[in-house]
Amino acid sequence: MTATSSTQTTSSSTSDYFAIFGLPRKLAIDVAKLEQEFLQLSWKLHPDNFVNASESERELSLKRSSDLNDAYRALRDPVARVEYLLGIEGERVEGEKKQQAPPELLEEVFELNESLDELREAKESGGDLIELKNKLESAEDNFEQKLREVDAQLHSVTKDWDAAVDANVDAAARKKLFARMNELLNRRSYIRNLVTNVAKELAEV
Amino acid sequence: MGRIVGIDLGTTNSLVAYLDPHTKQPNCIAGPYGSTLCPSVVSLDPDGNIIVGEPARRRLLTQPERTIYSVKRLMGRGVKDIQDELKLFPFRLDPSSSNVIRVRLGDKVFTPPEISAFILRELKNWAEAFFGEPVDRAVITVPAYFNDAQRQSTKDAGKIAGLEVLRLVNEPTAAALAYGLHEKQRGKAAVYDLGGGTFDISILKLISTEDGDIYQVLSTNGDTHLGGDDIDNLLQALVREKILQTDEIDFSPHGELAQELRKALISVKHELSEKETTTLRFPLPNGQVFTQEFTRGVLDALIRPVVDRTMGPVKLALADAKIKPEEIDEVVLVGGATRTPLIRRTVQEFFLRAPHIELNPDEVVALGAAVQANILEHGVSNMLLLDVTPLSLGIETYGGAVAKIITRNSPIPASAREMYTTGVDNQTGIDIHVLQGERELAKDCRSLARFTLKVPPAPAGLPRIEVKFLIDANGILQVGAKDLRTSEQHSIEVQPSYGISDSEIERILEESIEYAEQDFAERQAIEARTEAESILTATAKALSNPQSAMLGEEERAKIDAAVAGLKDSTSGNDYRLMRKKIDELNEATQHLAEVMMNSAVNTVLQGKNLADF
Repeated sequence: MTATSSTQTTSSSTSDYFAIFGLPRKLAIDVAKLEQEFLQLSWKLHPDNFVNASESERELSLKRSSDLNDAYRALRDPVARVEYLLGIEGERVEGEKKQQAPPELLEEVFELNESLDELREAKESGGDLIELKNKLESAEDNFEQKLREVDAQLHSVTKDWDAAVDANVDAAARKKLFARMNELLNRRSYIRNLVTNVAKELAEV
Repeated sequence: MGRIVGIDLGTTNSLVAYLDPHTKQPNCIAGPYGSTLCPSVVSLDPDGNIIVGEPARRRLLTQPERTIYSVKRLMGRGVKDIQDELKLFPFRLDPSSSNVIRVRLGDKVFTPPEISAFILRELKNWAEAFFGEPVDRAVITVPAYFNDAQRQSTKDAGKIAGLEVLRLVNEPTAAALAYGLHEKQRGKAAVYDLGGGTFDISILKLISTEDGDIYQVLSTNGDTHLGGDDIDNLLQALVREKILQTDEIDFSPHGELAQELRKALISVKHELSEKETTTLRFPLPNGQVFTQEFTRGVLDALIRPVVDRTMGPVKLALADAKIKPEEIDEVVLVGGATRTPLIRRTVQEFFLRAPHIELNPDEVVALGAAVQANILEHGVSNMLLLDVTPLSLGIETYGGAVAKIITRNSPIPASAREMYTTGVDNQTGIDIHVLQGERELAKDCRSLARFTLKVPPAPAGLPRIEVKFLIDANGILQVGAKDLRTSEQHSIEVQPSYGISDSEIERILEESIEYAEQDFAERQAIEARTEAESILTATAKALSNPQSAMLGEEERAKIDAAVAGLKDSTSGNDYRLMRKKIDELNEATQHLAEVMMNSAVNTVLQGKNLADF
């Protein structure tokens, strides 16, 4: 028997997270206000308030408070927020091959992998680690800088999206924005994995 | 409906508490031995009776093969998980153990939830004796870092003990609740909870709103196998090695002598929290007394690695909450092990803040559980607790990797939906494997459940089944499925990877609940009847004394009525009624007792009852 799963969550039976908070499907969100709203809704929906209620009320509370928590979790983080928007618009396209480096990073990634290999070898043979460590640390800084750049680009595309919603642009213009968001999200996740891996190797030195 | 209590089901000690409706403050209930601590020890006597708490603890020394402690370490775990534990703890596993551990006490075999249920039932009895009313619901605390199987086992234990478990509350969160009620606190708090067998760290935000106070857990981390027990084990290994050198005695780690030594060393550990030095004098079977002086420095050297191991989770919890140590406004210490000066100092130095120790660190968790029990009893209150799931939930994907669907420290209840379809024509089932943990490969995470999703035969890729994974407010997983083509809801039978099945719980329930509850009432009735007999004899004796003529007629009639009432009650089995009638007769004979006392030359026993003569 084969197990198949698509990692994408459906929107069909999920309440719209933006709607739960009474927000339009826009990406600029005041997180402090979101939290206040979250706490207020929690007072009303949390299962603690329904311990003595009927079973159907208890179930409804469980569903609504989990939806609320899921919504808060997705919307409070700017990256998860973009991802969620793409999901409910049915537009999220993950990178075809997650392991594939974005073309403009190929050269640097190649160099980084080489240094990582050298580090692993040096660890085994007891070679000099200091120089390699410094090299990797500066590579790590470099990629972290790139991560910040991607975040900045993501931020600017969220502004474009909000403006597009306000201007009520056509489907083609929306598609273009979605494509840009997908590309940035995929690049971000690639670089973040890279940074995590380097940090892990360095922590073991 | 019966009363509701809060229970701290601990590795070393367990406690039961309630919220006083008048003072609005939580209190722990003392047991028959006067202490609020019930040692988490269970023993089976040769007649097949279960003994719990202090008397069971004494039996560790005389009947170690019939007695078990620290059973919490076995909850929700399989044989493979506890190999390290088996080297250090005298658990006698039955060969039938696998993904459910079965422990041998004498000639009987029990699962960990059954043994925990004996402890819960004892605490239930304490509370019922205190209230004079039945107790049927409870809030039970668990380490924040307990996984799904460990939580489910705790819930099972409650069910077996005849308690409806209204909520499992995380221990550090409960402690925060107790402190919040004790003195209003605002801002960000860290709760450092080092118990007998588990370590938890939780970061909370305490918020005042118009509706009331919110305790919002931002993050939690910990180690479910790190605690005061580890310090005891290190101390024991050290001393056993010394005794082997000086007296050439190599005693088995699980025998009676080892238990004697364990007990003596726990005293040494406690004394070193108060004093700089102390001396161990330990009688050996060869007639010699092993003597050794311990300094706090020696103990600190043993504790240091344990404290160091707690700091990893502390840093991770802070990182997940996106908070720096110096941004923490309040630090709360929980658990007996935090009495150790070294631990207090280390925590204080890390957070640059003196920790709160106003509430008894042994009692604070139970007190918080009582607060939460009160909140739940009344449905709506001016306090709200928002907790998180400590571990990420994931499902196995191709190649043994794990796709995280709910990340750790998500507020609970939390849910995730996944779409499934078939890969080949007319495939009738899809296998799903649910895991918990932070690692990337399924083999490194904790298996929660495996199940097969049934699919009606159809061309590949056509079925669309949505599976909803939901972590409830207890931190326990529920799974449901929906066929999106037919909108048909499927309930899914999920057999947990670890833990006992529902049918086995039913069997245990049938076997155990009734006799245990009857037992307690019966024991109480016997005790009350004995006491009644002794006071009735004493009254009769006093009334036959010529001095009793000094009583007025009305008084005499009162006493006769009370005697008749008590005699009447002893023919039944209601121990509460007997106790009431005993009190009534005692009151009626108050003056008679004084008369008797005055007549007795040379006695100055004021305030005594007739039965004392």
